[in-house]
Amino acid sequence: MQLTAHADYCPGRHSEHLIPRSRGPIIKKLLLIMNFTAFCILLACLQVSAGGHAQTVTISLKEAPVEKVFQEIKKQTGYFFLYNNEVLTRVGKVDIQVKNSTVEQALDICFKNKEVSFKIFDNTVVVKLNTPKVQTNTTDPITVKGKVSNENGELLAGVSVKIKGTTRGTTTDENGVFSISIPDDALKILVFSFVGMQPREVNVSKKSEVNLILASADNEQREVVVIGYGTQRKSDLTGAVSSVKGDQLTEYPAINTIQALQGKSSGVLIQSNNGEPGSEFKVRVRGQTSINAGSDPLYVVDGFVGAPLPAPEDIASIDILKDASATAIYGSRGANGVIIITTKTGRSGKTRITLNASNSSQKVINKLNLLNADQFVDYIKEANPNYVRGTGNTDWQDVILRQGNIQNYQLGIAGGSEKVNYYVSGTYFDQQGIVIHSKYKRLSVQSNVSFQATDKLKMGINLLLRRIDRDGVRSQEFSGGDGSGVLSAAVRFAPDLPIYNPDGSFSLNSIGDPGDNPYAIATQVQNNSSNDEMVASAFGEYQLIKGLKLRVNAGANTSNGRTGNYIPTTLNQGRNVDGIASLYGFHSTNFLNEDYLTYTTQLAPDHNLNLVAGYSYQKIRAENFGGQGQDFITDAFSFWNLGSANTYLAPSSGMAETELISGYGRVNYSFMNRYMLTFTGRYDGYSAFSRNNKYAFFPSGAFAWNAKEEKFLDDVKWLNQFKIRTSYGLTGNQAIDPYQTLARLSTEIAVIGGQQVTAVRPTSVANDNLTWETTAQFNAGIDLGIFNSRINLSADYYKKTTSDLLFSVPLPQYTGYSTQLQNIGKVENKGYEFTLTTKNMTGLFKWTTDFNISFNKNKIIELPGGQDIFYGAVPGHMVGTGSMQVLRVGQPVGMFYGYIYDGVYQEGDAFVPGSGFEEMPGGEKYRDINGRDADSKLTNKPDGQLDEDDKTIIGNPHPKFIWALNNEFKWKGVDLTIFFQASQGNDLYSFTLAELGRNSGGNNATTKESDHWTPSYTNTDVAAVNPGRAFIPSSQWVFDGSYIRLKNIMLGYTLPEQINERIKIRSLRFYISAQNILTFTKYKGYDPEVNYLSGGGPGGNLNLGLDYGSYPNAKSVTFGINVGF
Amino acid sequence: MKNIISFIGILSGILCITGCSKLKENPIGILSPEGFFKTQKDVEAAIFDGYGLLSSDAIYGRFFNGTGLELRSDMVAIGNLGTAPERIQVNDFNVNASSGLTGRWWPIFYQVISAENTADQGADLIEASDEIKNQLKAEARFVRAFSYYHLVQIFGDLPYIDKPVSDPAAAKSMGKTPAAEVWGKIIEDFKFAKEHLPDQQPGDVRSRPTKATASAFLASAYLTTHDYQNASTEAKWVIDNKVAYNYELEADYQDLFNADKMDGLKEPLFVIDYASDISGEYQVLPSGIALCNNCDVMGPMTAVGAPALTIGFDVLVPSQAVYDSWNGLDYRKVVSFDTMVLFTGNVSKYYTEWPVPRPHIAKYIRYPGSAASPNGTNSSLNYMLMRYAEVLLIAAEALTEVNGGPTTEALDYVNQVRARARNRAGTITSFPTDVAPGMSKDDFIDLILEERKWELAFEGKRWYDIKRRQLGDKVFKGPDSIEPHSNFDSNRDYLFPIPGSEIDINANLLPQNNGY
Repeated sequence: MQLTAHADYCPGRHSEHLIPRSRGPIIKKLLLIMNFTAFCILLACLQVSAGGHAQTVTISLKEAPVEKVFQEIKKQTGYFFLYNNEVLTRVGKVDIQVKNSTVEQALDICFKNKEVSFKIFDNTVVVKLNTPKVQTNTTDPITVKGKVSNENGELLAGVSVKIKGTTRGTTTDENGVFSISIPDDALKILVFSFVGMQPREVNVSKKSEVNLILASADNEQREVVVIGYGTQRKSDLTGAVSSVKGDQLTEYPAINTIQALQGKSSGVLIQSNNGEPGSEFKVRVRGQTSINAGSDPLYVVDGFVGAPLPAPEDIASIDILKDASATAIYGSRGANGVIIITTKTGRSGKTRITLNASNSSQKVINKLNLLNADQFVDYIKEANPNYVRGTGNTDWQDVILRQGNIQNYQLGIAGGSEKVNYYVSGTYFDQQGIVIHSKYKRLSVQSNVSFQATDKLKMGINLLLRRIDRDGVRSQEFSGGDGSGVLSAAVRFAPDLPIYNPDGSFSLNSIGDPGDNPYAIATQVQNNSSNDEMVASAFGEYQLIKGLKLRVNAGANTSNGRTGNYIPTTLNQGRNVDGIASLYGFHSTNFLNEDYLTYTTQLAPDHNLNLVAGYSYQKIRAENFGGQGQDFITDAFSFWNLGSANTYLAPSSGMAETELISGYGRVNYSFMNRYMLTFTGRYDGYSAFSRNNKYAFFPSGAFAWNAKEEKFLDDVKWLNQFKIRTSYGLTGNQAIDPYQTLARLSTEIAVIGGQQVTAVRPTSVANDNLTWETTAQFNAGIDLGIFNSRINLSADYYKKTTSDLLFSVPLPQYTGYSTQLQNIGKVENKGYEFTLTTKNMTGLFKWTTDFNISFNKNKIIELPGGQDIFYGAVPGHMVGTGSMQVLRVGQPVGMFYGYIYDGVYQEGDAFVPGSGFEEMPGGEKYRDINGRDADSKLTNKPDGQLDEDDKTIIGNPHPKFIWALNNEFKWKGVDLTIFFQASQGNDLYSFTLAELGRNSGGNNATTKESDHWTPSYTNTDVAAVNPGRAFIPSSQWVFDGSYIRLKNIMLGYTLPEQINERIKIRSLRFYISAQNILTFTKYKGYDPEVNYLSGGGPGGNLNLGLDYGSYPNAKSVTFGINVGF
Repeated sequence: MKNIISFIGILSGILCITGCSKLKENPIGILSPEGFFKTQKDVEAAIFDGYGLLSSDAIYGRFFNGTGLELRSDMVAIGNLGTAPERIQVNDFNVNASSGLTGRWWPIFYQVISAENTADQGADLIEASDEIKNQLKAEARFVRAFSYYHLVQIFGDLPYIDKPVSDPAAAKSMGKTPAAEVWGKIIEDFKFAKEHLPDQQPGDVRSRPTKATASAFLASAYLTTHDYQNASTEAKWVIDNKVAYNYELEADYQDLFNADKMDGLKEPLFVIDYASDISGEYQVLPSGIALCNNCDVMGPMTAVGAPALTIGFDVLVPSQAVYDSWNGLDYRKVVSFDTMVLFTGNVSKYYTEWPVPRPHIAKYIRYPGSAASPNGTNSSLNYMLMRYAEVLLIAAEALTEVNGGPTTEALDYVNQVRARARNRAGTITSFPTDVAPGMSKDDFIDLILEERKWELAFEGKRWYDIKRRQLGDKVFKGPDSIEPHSNFDSNRDYLFPIPGSEIDINANLLPQNNGY
């Protein structure tokens, strides 16, 4: 059926000329774009409504083709007509003579006795052929009946079942059941077709019952990909986009969607920053483009930019936009990639209920081998002969670690009618962490409803409600004394002490500062947070004229939460102040309005055009407030009675607001499905930028050649896809905090005469010229499909150069300032990504393999003045370590910087002198590699003295490549998934091992300590015990952090349909899976997959590959069940 | 039709409302320096910031006076060897350029300077009489000079800044000013302060400087730069005006270290005023070091660490010889040391039974005030940065140098200090006896230095005495050393290294101090 329509359109095709090409008088241009949107709507409206005034027609025609009548009516009323060409044949020529009659009356005359009917929707007339009445055949028909389901055994409603060569047919009912009579003279072949499924023909000459399974149309190229402000067939894509399907996200219970995404897409690096339940993950798409500004990708959930991510179970698909062609439509926020999340929707048909439940049991992956009480006392007496042995023998790691547990449930109800679709789902995730007293709970409700309000207006509302409750334990803390975290205390604390003293109080450390024991910290410190998210977004999509749609999205996200903290008097830290409590709350709103027009047309046969133009406004406001107090009458108040504190500590409050105004447009043009061009541009204005640079424009262009469509490849049967893509464009990064460009006085406190007074100090200098980081990205890619798509390969090369880096340039501290944010420097990321999907076996036994591998090379191209920038991210009590990371031109960001460790000095060795270094047999020996001449210039030659000049690059935290391999096997109802994920060639710097291996008697040590140097035992590289030994950053604590991890292995069984029927369910699957049970690594710490101080904020880009006191990742075993009703 | 019209209505409405934004930032709750200085109070707020920073744990809370000046001297050593190695390095003359301690002192003293420079300039912007403006500037410059007074003694040549930094890029390449020139500027500031500061601060608080405070520090600066004539003139000026300005030795030495008697004392000329119930927020330096204004941790740093009632850290513990070499009849020794404390279960234990079996410093822990934490954190003490007894001893030393020997006047000043020490909580004892006339100059100078050692014990003075009198080889390597360090290197150890991170940013700070 070929439907044609006739109408004039809004001249949207001119949009590309309206997008400014250069930065210039900027506000004007933005207004131009905004006006364009309005102008376009206006035109469309005028076009339609101008004719709309005349609702009656006057026509006088004889023996005229009915088409002529339609044209006349259209001319007089502006109505347009939609009809099948057969209408023209069936109606033929008409006589008509009407004056001031309605359209209906006129058409009634035309169609009298013509087996044609019509319907008017607003200003559109749909003419259709009347369905022929079922013919009663004289010969006996045969009746065939049966059921149709999909590969997952779900029955399909609405499948078209036709007799081949006729128009006769039926559809399956809500239970997937059909019944059809086939006339004797017809072919005994049925054709089954359904959207998104491969059509199938079945010969029924000898059957009266057919039960068949329709395979999904898994030819990838038919897939639709969600891109910014629209969708596109994968075959028409010019950009680099990876797609992940919803069911890939729920293979094991993930704490959130990001974790579930790990390893699922090439070019996307996801690292856990800390294993604590609820802690955030670090996501980098094609490397990190920035040094100081955020490098997190932009998240777009159902068109809502910056909305919180829904639960993995509620996600239909995730599309990751990687190159500039794909991301430039997000302009100043596109440089770090865009992750587009589409939630599930309902489908018309019978209500479908799904229930997913799983239970996991977790254990720590690894434990450190530490000295036991006896070994410890021997060791500590070498450092401090006066040490008195404690009365216990405690393995603190065992004390604080436990078997964790995750329960994960989802209940979803989806369905709909012709006009209304709905999807409602509730999820519940409850984790008891592997460290005692750590808990995480997530409860969410997602509700997506959409409806066809009129024939032209579609509307919908998506709602997300989410509550997260967390009981945290201290980990990755900065301080080693009183403020120690549970994990670092567990390895540092003296093992010869019991948990409790004889009087019932908790034991305090007998070495170093008298810190609380790890059990006390874990159980006594109250650290509880709660966060409510609400997202409500509504859209309206209106078809203005054929091909031209206006979509208006409006949404709001509010986030409310609080964190309460109480340190009771049972802890040393709390006892000194009689309990200290704090309660902080925050409230933030994110409001977004997007209005955009989409226009699709065929300019001429084989010339297809798709245009998008839109306007967007976003406002984010964040408020915070908190109070704290100490000295309480009782611990029972926890943090819920701050008013009863005898000492009020300074309360706090703050507010920050940003606005973003944008205009954007995109042109997609394709010729013969062979050559595809995309141009994209976005014009952004952002309040947080300096007064001289509020606006910027980000353009991109892309070209793709679908070579397989060329004649000369027609005969190459083994090749079913061959596409080459290339793109270039600019995107931005605006991820800085508001008010950073302004000079600022900060308030502090001082005490005069016993009274508190307010004091102020300048803490930041203004920068009136601060602007966006701009990333120029080139991408070239190829998509290949071989052997009937049994093998699919995508390969991409990219090069991203980020300039105008938002850089906190370190200022000398004698200025009174520490840093100033400037646009200085350049960073480059280039690399290759490959995605290979193969269907190794497709018969009864199915085996598919997905493999992706990504190589990224990060390099600093330019720094202020070409000068190295040194910095450190050292735990507070190890602060004497000094700078141990460097930014250096020609090197990747965050290289480890320190001394080269050369083992221990032996008796008779020549000691290299240097303040802070040891000069004794058994002392740590470092290499002298550099010195200064008389002009204080570096000579790059040893100068016989150890000092700062002898530090050098000692490690690289960036992986050379990361890869993931997923194998899926299916045989009848049994499925098996094996998923490996790996990182290769990255170094880790372990502060934990540096502390435990320092041999200075300040804390417990690893069993390696027993191997230390003594005058009688010299063949070792472990230094002798020395209490005065400094923390020296050195190659000694740099480890190979490469790993290969069996991330998930899952075995499932789906019940056969026959049984389902008997127990009245739609489908049932059980599975057992295990996560992280195998890890191949040389790393000696808990886990190579943790990062210290690497989370959000600027430090996240600078601090790579550090390990200290992290909450370890767990290995787990999961049992689960999926039921469908 | 209606739908289209309403859509356009909604859309144009949105465009109009949202399109009109100028994207201007309107920060509420954030203070902009533009137009901030309008009144005297505003300038004072900037001056006070210096006091706030000086009261942080980075400076007088423990890390500068405690783990800096005291550990470096021969009066305090490391108790608990498990403490942070950066402290052990300061004590053992083994500091390197990435020390976390110099990494605290340097930026915070310079933040004080930045605040005071801002105040100094801000005073010109307000509507007020010249007298008030000068008085504000005098206070700002006093605090600035106080900071340089320490910085120059610790680091030697250094970048000298006396204006707010508006162009950080230019400041990034500045060089060092020689120490002698810095001293000149310090003296200039103290002189200006002496001229314009009031005779008394409101409420006679001692945490803000007066004319006499400036004069006393002027005396100390002259003494340090061996300008004995001016040192004696300034110190005598304070002594001669003590009644007018309300300064006097306290009768009972213990009262100087008793939080409950702190307020209203006449002896202090300049103090850091701690208040138990006030505590600042932790600010984190780029180096990761956390700091906190008005956070006093000297109590636990010096206190006995054990399962005792008060759990100290045992870090700053004098060597046994400090205790043993101090005459047991001296009341000041009793005030300065704890030898017996109460352990869990109400058991008193003598110091030989403590985890670090040496007498511990008592000045910061014995009477921290009732609201202080059990281990002495957040005391209500006022830390003595300059008190009248020191002015007397400065005057005595300077006069002796000027006159080539002890004069009656000089003897009298020392004897005033000794006389007060004989008052053992109301009971007048016979020790220490008055100094008799007839001593040689050198002997008398040695006596004054010894007197300073005991009188000002654990108050952050001794290291500067060792440095200004170049006593290192004698007190650390000599036969009578009470804290021997054989590796003391007089070519290196009178100065600390400039933080390496500063040299990384500005190579014009090279060369690094000798030996680092």
